[in-house]
Amino acid sequence: MVLYVYAITAASPSHDLDGLEGVGPGSSPPRTVTAGPVAAVVGDVSEEVRPARRDLLAHQAVQERLMAAGAVLPLRFGHLAPDEDTVREALEAGAEAYLSALERLRDCAEFHVRATQDDEEPLLRRALDEVPGVRDLDARIRAGDPDPRLPLALGELVTRQVQAWQQTTADALVRALEPFARDRVVQEPTGRDFLNLSLLVPDDRADALLETREELDRELGDGAALRFSGPLPPYSFVG
Amino acid sequence: MTIMPQSGGGVAREGGGSGGGNLYDVLELILDRGMVIDVFVRVSLVGIEILKIDARIVVASVDTYLRFAEAVNRLDLESGRKAPAQLPEVVEGMTEGGSRGKTKGLVGGAVEALTGSLGGSRDDEDEEEPEEEAEEAEEPEQEPEEEAEPAPRRRRPAARRPARRERE
Repeated sequence: MVLYVYAITAASPSHDLDGLEGVGPGSSPPRTVTAGPVAAVVGDVSEEVRPARRDLLAHQAVQERLMAAGAVLPLRFGHLAPDEDTVREALEAGAEAYLSALERLRDCAEFHVRATQDDEEPLLRRALDEVPGVRDLDARIRAGDPDPRLPLALGELVTRQVQAWQQTTADALVRALEPFARDRVVQEPTGRDFLNLSLLVPDDRADALLETREELDRELGDGAALRFSGPLPPYSFVG
Repeated sequence: MTIMPQSGGGVAREGGGSGGGNLYDVLELILDRGMVIDVFVRVSLVGIEILKIDARIVVASVDTYLRFAEAVNRLDLESGRKAPAQLPEVVEGMTEGGSRGKTKGLVGGAVEALTGSLGGSRDDEDEEEPEEEAEEAEEPEQEPEEEAEPAPRRRRPAARRPARRERE
């Protein structure tokens, strides 16, 4: 039997963990291990932990419950400790740093923002109109020119321009959103996204942020859309 | 699953939809961010990390170029033009710079990569209870929530098909 470790919080007030399910097969419901002013939320797991959907959601649900009651330092998914003594030792060793992180994150939540290019056509048409050489290459390929370098050349021109446009949009979005945040983290976007932004937003500015989101969404233009997640535990601001 | 953080949960609340909401967007946070405590052991998520890296490497590849070229070639040049995507006055006029190093993601599939890896790593690594593992692995795909489903990617086949090259 080992312990799955969810999060670190202040020791008081005590947490209401009723009804939460644990991460991992055969897991116990989450409980608290306290050492002085700080506490860890842990649960027994009997078997190996895997990042299955159910388990990711269980991890997330514990964080959300905790953050409803106060500041929380969410651990990255999948931390295991051999026993409660090890957890207490870790809490004692890090108490000062944990308390200061909790203070820094008090009354804040993370909002995660992604911008996606759902429809590239408007950008492709714009490239045809505005980027020198694109229309010509396109016409030659359409006319049946078999030169295999043509599609590559066309694709590279268009890709670079689309990326540049998206970069400009992403930068502008960051600047429009960061005034609402105490801190921000920009990460490499994946898939069709061109913005991956996390904001640490004080609770009293969350409404204003969401209002701006609607405004930006309307103005973002064809083919692109914003996705907001939050309020979330401050995963991106505990590192 | 009764875990959906329906009430009061960030995942459930935003994203304009039913429970589970933006789990896919939040996955990266749960798996890759959050605090790390060295004295604790972390379970192996190797499969997931590798797949994510793969998805990113593809971004500036020949496949991307060919996909874009093909998409341009398939545009209906006669049809009316839509206004190009552009940013509003609020934020207009910003020049480059500002945000920290990042690259563009133009290749659909990172979400699928992640999804697959939720199963993939399990299948690869776990010899015990293979049936249960496989079942679990497919769960994300089967869930009915729109947000969790990478629907836009599905709708646009041209977007994600390196294999298209073969047609040329």
